[in-house]
Amino acid sequence: MKFKNPIKELRERKAEEKRRQEEEKRRQEAEEKKKRKRLLIISAGILAALLLIGGIGSLFEKPDSTLPDTSSQVESLVSSSTADLSTEPEETPSSDTEKPSETEKPSETEKPSETEKPDDSSKATDSETPTPPNVAPVIDLSSIPAYSGDPYVVVNNNVPGFTDADLTTTSFESYSSLDSLGRCGVAYACVGQDIMPTEERGSIGQVKPTGWHTVKYDIVDGKYLYNRCHLIGYQLSAENANTKNLITGTRYLNVQGMLPFENMVADYVKETNNHVLYRVTPLFDGNNLLAAGVLMEALSVEDNGDGVCYNVFVYNVQPGISIDYATGDSSLLDQGGGSQGKDDNKNDEPQNSTTQTYILNTNTHKFHLPSCSSVGQMSDKNKQEFTGSREEVIAQGYEPCKKCNP
Amino acid sequence: MNIIVCVDDNYGMMFNNRRQSQDRVLREHILSLSSRSRLWINHYTEKQFSQDSNSAEHLNVDDDFLDKAAPGEYCFVEDAPVASYESNTEKIILFKWNRKYPGDFHFDIDLSGKGWKLTSSEDFPGFSHEKITMEVYER
Repeated sequence: MKFKNPIKELRERKAEEKRRQEEEKRRQEAEEKKKRKRLLIISAGILAALLLIGGIGSLFEKPDSTLPDTSSQVESLVSSSTADLSTEPEETPSSDTEKPSETEKPSETEKPSETEKPDDSSKATDSETPTPPNVAPVIDLSSIPAYSGDPYVVVNNNVPGFTDADLTTTSFESYSSLDSLGRCGVAYACVGQDIMPTEERGSIGQVKPTGWHTVKYDIVDGKYLYNRCHLIGYQLSAENANTKNLITGTRYLNVQGMLPFENMVADYVKETNNHVLYRVTPLFDGNNLLAAGVLMEALSVEDNGDGVCYNVFVYNVQPGISIDYATGDSSLLDQGGGSQGKDDNKNDEPQNSTTQTYILNTNTHKFHLPSCSSVGQMSDKNKQEFTGSREEVIAQGYEPCKKCNP
Repeated sequence: MNIIVCVDDNYGMMFNNRRQSQDRVLREHILSLSSRSRLWINHYTEKQFSQDSNSAEHLNVDDDFLDKAAPGEYCFVEDAPVASYESNTEKIILFKWNRKYPGDFHFDIDLSGKGWKLTSSEDFPGFSHEKITMEVYER
């Protein structure tokens, strides 16, 4: 027979009561917190709407005073008009731990709602750290001068549009969802060694970005007019065939325009182990399927831009070729625009379609026959075997080796 | 004097007032190359060397380094034009990144003119660069 201990019973009742009270308190706090968040989101939404209606000043108008002086560059090309809506990004999820923005910063209006579902195209290396929102820089395409022989033009004295609140030493990458026309939006990353590739790039030939045509011209290096251009290059993000990160770009945009800027960031990060804020925004005119170009912004974080700092618009052009940006159709310029390129999509038997094994150098972006003497000199980390057609390799942005001429 | 310059595939040296690239193995190479003489650099370049633990006694920091370097001494030039010093230059040592970077400031001596001859070329792996090529030009 068991006897009840009244003192023990009393203690248990008190403990139970205390637990209930604490639970109730936690519940009330959580409720209060949710209310505060909802209020904040509503306020942010109203503020965003008001600012958009009123035409906010762009980030470019108020370059961060902490950034290095780059006054020797050409004048700003950015207008104060509203953003090209066609490049409006999808916002990414936020959390309580997100750094507060300073006042008067346009990006505040772009903060995402917590009610939005997380975007699977956004990943941070630390799951507790929020990915900053994909905020497209405000730029008016009409302020960009026509292409005049250089692959890029400096924007806003080379000062990128990041704010102090954007500075982070946690690597992440974030991609906008495709818009209703299937076009990419802003791609944004904090590039660190932890998101850089550890393995060779795979095939991206299955991706057909908007405006895509497999078309060849003799005057184009590697023949193919269009490449699948990574917004954030594979060497920076290890993103392979992500449709939110690939646009149709000319060979010239890819190799002469974007690659040098990517190289600068990649080698800086590899050398210093620092981070670089990096944002690439494709800019489409109206409903065009082919981007007029990309805005590339970069800022090294730990040294506040001493190492890397730029803001450039890179033209999606190909010298000697006329391009219809609405569709991606193209023709040779020197024949009055009447001569079309050879569109492999229309051929029953595309040239060079034989499948073969090639050795890719992911560093130099040259490809070789396996028997080529250069293969032996190649570092293993840059060596990648690829089996497919020659045109597939070229369409991935690789150039044939001049020794073995694959 | 002997001029040391790093260039990309387009003979670029700087973009937006920043060096195109850097490599710690290359710095060691330069220090070793100049170890029996003096290595002149300016304050901009000094920051690059200050990242390394091994400081070199033969390193001289002066913003007028190109005017002060004596015959046989080395000047590592990152952000200054050198064409006006060509007549005083005994040797040009080019370190090629074998990469394309954006560039708005370029090496300004025409190596195909004024009797410059490539006397040696050597490749070595860098820390963050797969292959750096050292080319030596003499007259």
